[in-house]
Parts: sequence; C-alpha cells; structure tokens
Amino acid sequence: MGSFMLRRIIYVIPALIAVSLISFLVIAIPPGDFITRTAELRAAQGDIMPLAEQEAMRRAYGLDLPIMVQYWNWISGVVTRGDFGYSFSFNLPVKDVIWPRLGLTILLSVASLLFIWVIAIPIGIYSAVRRYSAGDYLATFLGFLGLAIPNFLLALAVMYIAFAWFGMNVGGLFSPEYLEAPWSWGRVLDLLNHLWLPMIVLGTAGTASVIRVIRANLMDELHKPYVTAARAKGKGEFALLMKYPVRHALNPFVSGQNDIFVDIVSGGTIVAIVMGLQTTGPLLLDALRTQDMYMAASFILMLSVLVVIGTLLSDVLLAWLDPRIRYQQG
Amino acid sequence: MQKDRLGVTRWLAATSVLLSATALPGAIALPVQAQDAANACASGYTEAPQLEAMVDAGSLPAVAERLPLEPLVIQPAEEIGVYGGQFIDSWGGGNVADMRQFGYEPLVRWSVDGSEVVPGIAKSWDISEDARSYTFHLREGMKWSDGHPFTADDIIFWWDRVENNPKVMTGGPRAELKNNGAVPTVTKVDDYTVTFAYEQPNGLFLQNMAGPYGQRVVQFPKHYMEQFDIDLNPDGVAEMMAAAGATDYAAWWKGNVGSYGDAAQFNNPERPSVHAWIGTDSLLGKERVTFVRNPYYFAVDPSCQQLPYIDERVWTVAADPEVTLLQAIQGQITMSPRNISTPQNRAVFFDSQQAGDYHLVPATSCDYNTAVLGFSVNHPDPIKAQVFGSKDFRIGVSHAINRQEIIDTIYLGQGEPFQPAPLPNSPFYNETLAKEFTEFDLAKAAEHLDKIIPLGADGVRVGPDGKPFKFSVEINADFKPDTVDAFQLIERTWKQAGLDVTINYHSDELFGNARAKPDADAAVWVGENGCGQLPLLNLGRFMNDYGYWSLGNWSGWAAWDIKRLNPGAELPEGWSPIEPPANVQRLYELRSTIPTTVGEEQAALMAEFTGLLAEEFLTIGIANPAGYYRSVKNDLHNVPAELIEGWLYPGPAPANFATFFLKP
Repeated sequence: MGSFMLRRIIYVIPALIAVSLISFLVIAIPPGDFITRTAELRAAQGDIMPLAEQEAMRRAYGLDLPIMVQYWNWISGVVTRGDFGYSFSFNLPVKDVIWPRLGLTILLSVASLLFIWVIAIPIGIYSAVRRYSAGDYLATFLGFLGLAIPNFLLALAVMYIAFAWFGMNVGGLFSPEYLEAPWSWGRVLDLLNHLWLPMIVLGTAGTASVIRVIRANLMDELHKPYVTAARAKGKGEFALLMKYPVRHALNPFVSGQNDIFVDIVSGGTIVAIVMGLQTTGPLLLDALRTQDMYMAASFILMLSVLVVIGTLLSDVLLAWLDPRIRYQQG
Repeated sequence: MQKDRLGVTRWLAATSVLLSATALPGAIALPVQAQDAANACASGYTEAPQLEAMVDAGSLPAVAERLPLEPLVIQPAEEIGVYGGQFIDSWGGGNVADMRQFGYEPLVRWSVDGSEVVPGIAKSWDISEDARSYTFHLREGMKWSDGHPFTADDIIFWWDRVENNPKVMTGGPRAELKNNGAVPTVTKVDDYTVTFAYEQPNGLFLQNMAGPYGQRVVQFPKHYMEQFDIDLNPDGVAEMMAAAGATDYAAWWKGNVGSYGDAAQFNNPERPSVHAWIGTDSLLGKERVTFVRNPYYFAVDPSCQQLPYIDERVWTVAADPEVTLLQAIQGQITMSPRNISTPQNRAVFFDSQQAGDYHLVPATSCDYNTAVLGFSVNHPDPIKAQVFGSKDFRIGVSHAINRQEIIDTIYLGQGEPFQPAPLPNSPFYNETLAKEFTEFDLAKAAEHLDKIIPLGADGVRVGPDGKPFKFSVEINADFKPDTVDAFQLIERTWKQAGLDVTINYHSDELFGNARAKPDADAAVWVGENGCGQLPLLNLGRFMNDYGYWSLGNWSGWAAWDIKRLNPGAELPEGWSPIEPPANVQRLYELRSTIPTTVGEEQAALMAEFTGLLAEEFLTIGIANPAGYYRSVKNDLHNVPAELIEGWLYPGPAPANFATFFLKP
C-alpha cells in the first residue's frame, strides 16, 4: 500500500508540470494580449489608445518577452514564493483577488450540494420503492424538467418572479448596504436571505440527476435475494430498506462525486454571472475575457491541481477499498 | 479675442439649444453670461450640515477659507437645492473613472448644451490674437481635497513630471495636447497664471482641453505626487515598489498612480482631487464603493451654498447588464447607466416607470452613425484593393442597403437614413455628404456595381480578373447587438444585388484581431463625435484613419500620410506607403492644417473637407442614432431636460452633477 501511494504521488509531479504549462499556454498563445484587449475596451468607450502607449504598456508588463520566459517567471514565483503573479485588471496580487471570494463560493456550493442531497435522496428512494405510482411520475416529471431547463434561464425566471411578485432585491449575495460591510449578525442574516435563490437554481438540475441515479440503483437492489431473505426474517420494511438496499444504492452515487472539488470552486459560473453573485466563477470568466494572463492561468492551474488531487484521492480510496486494484497496478 | 471674466456662471437655457448650430462655426466660443460671485456672496457662504458640524468641532476650516476667493457659480437647471442623500450608480467593476458617469472637472469645460467652452477650474483665459498662446487664470485660494492650495505649480508638475516624463509611459504628450505634431511650451506666469504657447496657431486647444484628456491637467497635486516620482524620491519609490513586489517603475506607476483612463486614478483615497466627491477606500476589486462630498469643492450655487448638494455617490458592482437593468427598473439606481439605456430597452423602462418611481429623460446621442462600414482600400490582394478602392463599388453597396427597413424594424422607427457625416445640429453639416446614396434602389446599385464587378455568365458577379468576387464583413456582436440585426437585413438585400458576401460575427474578445488583420475585407464600428463642434476634433474618424485604428486595411494611405508629415518617421510593422488619390491627399492635408486655423478660415477649410468627403464617399453609414434616454429617479432634481451622450463631449458628466439634489 505504501509503495502504491508513493508511486501515485510521483506520477502526479509530471502531471502538474504539464498542467501548469498548458494552462499558461492556453492564455498566452492566442493572438492579442491584455493590452490589445484594453485598447479594444477603450475603443468601445470612444477612446483610441495610441500605438506608442500600447507598446510602452506591453514593455512595462513584460508582455513583449518570449512566452517561455514569461512562463518561467510566473511558475518560478508560484513554486518558490507562492506568488501567483499580478492581476492587471485589478492591480492586485492574484491571490488577494481570489481568496476573498473563495469563502462565499464554497459556502454557496456546499449549500447547494446539501440542498441536492436533502431533496433528491429521499425522493429517489421514494420513487424507486413506489415506482410507476403517481408520485413517481410527478417526481420524474419535475426532475426531467429541472434537468432540461438551462440553469441560466431558470435563474432569470426565478429572479424575475422574485422581483415582480415579491419585490425582492435581486442580484448578488448581499443587500447593497452589507456589500463591503464587516461581518455582523445582520450581514449573516442578509446573506442567508439571498443565498436560497441561487441555491435552488444551482440545485435543481443536480437534484434531477441524483434522483435518477438513486432510483435506478435502488431498483436493481430491491429484488436481490438478500432483501427477500431479510423480509422473510420479519425485519420491518422501513428499517430493512434503509439498512441494506439504500446503502448499496448509495455506493455508485458516492464514487460519482469525484469532481466535487472543482464543482465547489468553479461550479455554476453562468448562474453566478446572471445573478451577479460574488463568487469565483465570474472572476475566471472575466480574466479569460480580458486576457488578464496571470489571473486566468493561476485560476486554471488551481482547478487543474484540484482535479489531480481529487483523482489521486479517489485512486487511493479505491485501492484501499479493493485489494485487486492495489496488487494489479501496484 | 481677449476675454477675462470673473465668477462666470455656467449658463443653461431652460430648453436646451443642443450643441447649437448658431455658435460661430469653428470659432472659439466664449462664456455668454457673467456674474460677480464675490459681490453676490458678500454675506458669506453656507455649507452642508455635516461639514458645518466638522467646522464647529474644529476639525475643518470655515467654508470661506475652503472656497477660492472667486468660486465657480453654477446655475442649477431647475432650482436651488437642499443638501443630503445618496446618488446610486451601477458599475461593471474596474475603472469607475469613466468620467461620463462620475465627474468632470477640467480647466475649461463644455457648457451643458455643448455649444461652447466655459470656465471650470480656470476662472478665465486670454487667447493671443494669432491663437498661438493660451493663458489660463486659476482661482486664487482654491484648494485640493486635502486643503492644500491648488496653484500653477501643480499644472507645471503635471506637464514636466507626468506628461513629458518617459519613465511613466505616456509615450510623450497625447495628440490632443499637440498641434500639428508640435508640443507647446508651458510656463508659469505667477501662482495663478499658466500659459500654453504653440509655434503655430491652435484653433482647437480649448475644445481639446474640455474633452476627456483635459482632465489630466488637473489630476496631479504636486505636494502629494512627488513621493511617487522615482527621480524626486528614489528611496521611497524603491521601498513602495518592493512592498508591492513590482520590478518595473512604469507598470507600478500605471497601476498605483495613473492618469486619466487608468483604473488606478481614483483607486487611492488618499490622493487629493478637485472633484465634487472623493473616495473613502480603494475601489478595484470592491463590490461597493462610496465617494463622499469634497469639503473643498470650488463651486457654489447662486444663493452661495457650497456644492455639491448630494452627500454621497455610491457604486455597486453588477457584472451582468441584465442585472443592472432589473435593478434600474426596480428603482434602485438613481440614473440608469449608458449600456442599458438603449432604444431596445425603452419599452421595459417605460412599463416600470411607476413601480420604479423614475421617469425617462431624453439623451441625445453625439454619435453620427449607428454603424459605419469601411472597406480595405489598401487590401494586400490587388484585385480586392482595386474593387474596394472604387467609388462605384461603394455606391452600389450603399444603394443595396434598405435603411428605412432597418430603422423601422431595428431602431424602432427612430432616426433617419444617414451616411458618416456631421449631424444636422453641427455647424459643419453637409447635406450631400449626409444623404448621398442612401435610397434603397437595386437598379441603381446594379448600375454602379456592373462598372467594377459585372455579372458573369452564371449570374455571379466577377472581379476585374474575371473570377467570382466575394468578400466578408467583420462585426463585433457584443459591442452593439443592433449591428448584428442590421447586417442580417443588409446581407439579404446585398444578395439580391448579386453580391457574394459573408458576414462574420465576432465576440468582443475576437473582434479586435479580426478588424486589424491586414487581409480583412471590411469592418463595422459605430460613428462617434458628430455633433456640434466635435467633428473638428474628430477629422480622422471621418477619413477612417485614426492613428493605427481603421475599419478595414488603410495602412498604406496612413503610412503615406505619416511619411508626408515626417519623412524620417518609423512606420509600424508591416506598413508601407501607398499614394492615395488626389482628393484623399488633400483630405490628409486638411486634417493637419484645420487644427492650426481659426474662425472664418477654419470654417472654409471644414467646408472643403466635408465637400471632398462627399465627393470621395470613403465609408458607408446606416442611420443617425436616436431614441436614447436615461432613467432618472423622480426624487432627483436639476437634471437638464435633455442630456447629451458622447465621448469628446463626455456626456452626461457636463450636466453639472454637483447641482443635482434629492427631494423626498
């Protein structure tokens, strides 16, 4: 087991190097850079930026250097000093831009995950046990509807309803007066008051798929002999259901949650943009759109590292669960 | 041409004479009404209660000491206001300094109706008879927002240590400050007098100073800015750069100090300013920022109350325009921002007027065209260069556009068919230029197109080389979505005229590259700065040559012009001179001589300029924009009956936001 894990960890290193290089090149190689983008944005305001000024800015930001030199400057800073570089558009170190938003992002993601589980698992169990009943059809219908409606559309509709019928202050996770305020009890309440809207929107699609997975898995389990055996021994129906088939049915569902880290950080980008949420998703999109190079590259690097770590963890977990994997690949 | 006025009032007609054509064409407009503020306010000034409390507590000097001896007196649009309240704006993050929404305090400024240049920070000016030298008189006793005196030294500091300091990357003084390529000599006459002297007459200096870049002149308080100057404070700058992890001085300066147009310029709340409201915190990366009243703001109302009336300006980030729109119609935004106040959204705004407790104020656009189409006259493919360079081709293409249909369906009936030309409200309006070849007539289109790309055997138009002729048009689909709709209609009528065209719709990020490709056939952009006197400052745009920027490839002609002006000049990479036709050569000449003339002479040259443009018909337009507006909360008063949108007239900022007030 020890040598298996060691080998796995060693494999991760070249993967991380490749990932960092690719995430930088993805931003740096396409034609144009942050300066051309700034010039275009200014042109959209009516302001034409002189060529000389563009060249001067490019020199100042080091964008005239060869790409590999830029990459080396960036990655050596990341590795040796934990310095992810400077965000041109925010004029702040990248980490100072990303960290403050990470907390809210994780809160929202975890909240919508819990929402999904709390709603979807009981419904999934119900519709498997009472399959082809009116309730099952209703849950299936609503589930598919949730799956079929694009999140951003649902977000717009929910926002409109909240505005038109309830007169709510929509957009964002806080009321204006709490936006840059220090944390207080009032601010927490205000956040909870705004959180449920994006939580429902983000949760709806996820709910549908979880319902389907649980339903299908559980239906496979319900007719297995051990269920019949347990029932024959006189075990109560509900306790029986919960103790054996549901636990089995949850297995594939749990192993299907391997991209959870990435979802937590960058999930729901489009919804966040539509609803004006202060999460990390819109930040990444903006960085890509304005070619804010170090910001975008650091972001992609972070997400990729999370995928690599998630994969490593799931490998280790699987190996721990299943000796066959441990010995075959070890 | 001498004028010296004290405490001049910004005069505002009740019914705004929009960028009046009655202003003497091309002449330097001067203030029309004067009032001696010092006498009018002999009994003293009053101030906001918050400031009064601070004065009573001894933490702020008395109002008379904070104001200059002769404050600017601003005539409100409706009535004398009361202090208090918040003005709430939405903002896309980043640079709040887009002066059009924030503030506008240059040395001299556009009047509210845009018809003339009136005093701002400068109380008056003298212009030499030959228009070579401009002398500005500053206000004695005027203070920066930290209470430090504002003097001629601050302007000299900006000129020597910023605008002409290659270490802070401005790439030399901006073109707006030069005259036919030459920089002025800027001298301090005394503490309150500064002179800009040019070698040649400069007929556009005041108008340029009233434009966006005039703002730079009064942005650099010497006493505060010296600490950021690497030559004046080498150790301190080295320390600050080390703390920020910066290695390049120019980049650090741009990111932490900055001038007009940089996101950093209002990011430092410590930096003294002359604006009516000042920052309380850094703003980059923030979700909500608040600016508070500048206790030293240099203007008063006619009843001697110090301005501004409104306590705070607040910006809340909304990344998505749909969210902004929703907030605006909910009544959460005091005045709707420009990007959502479009004719397309008018119905939505109109319907929610009562619920949102706001009304719509018309905002006249200074844009001279909703969409300008330019073809690559210097296309690297000689066949394409020949076709695009042919006036017959351009006439044919123009006649094959059904402008009325576009106006009716896309612009909701607002505006009229128009070519790229000064607007009717401009003294430089030329009806031929504005209206030629605008009627939709496929027969006429065919007649002209046949001369250069005749119909071949199989009904396809062929180029001069006998091969089928096709071209493409590059469009930015994000910048103005209406352009996409318009070109869908145009594509249809062009095909009826036998043109083989591909329209490429690009996202905002990709359009820049598509437009600048040397072998791009044609591109579309909005036409800006066409009202009042603005065409004078905007000659390059009418010729589709604005420095390096053009629609389609015009680099050959542009290079020819660069070499004409300075045979030793270095050309941008990939450019080589191509001699333009005689009329275009004359246009280029006029572009450099018009700014050096004044009065009648300037007007005559402008007439020649628009006449030649009409003869050459270089670019193609669709319609003049109309139907713009802003939503304004019902409790906000003193908003002019008509706002103006623009860039060189940075509307709506010149509408005197300092006199706006909230009446419950």
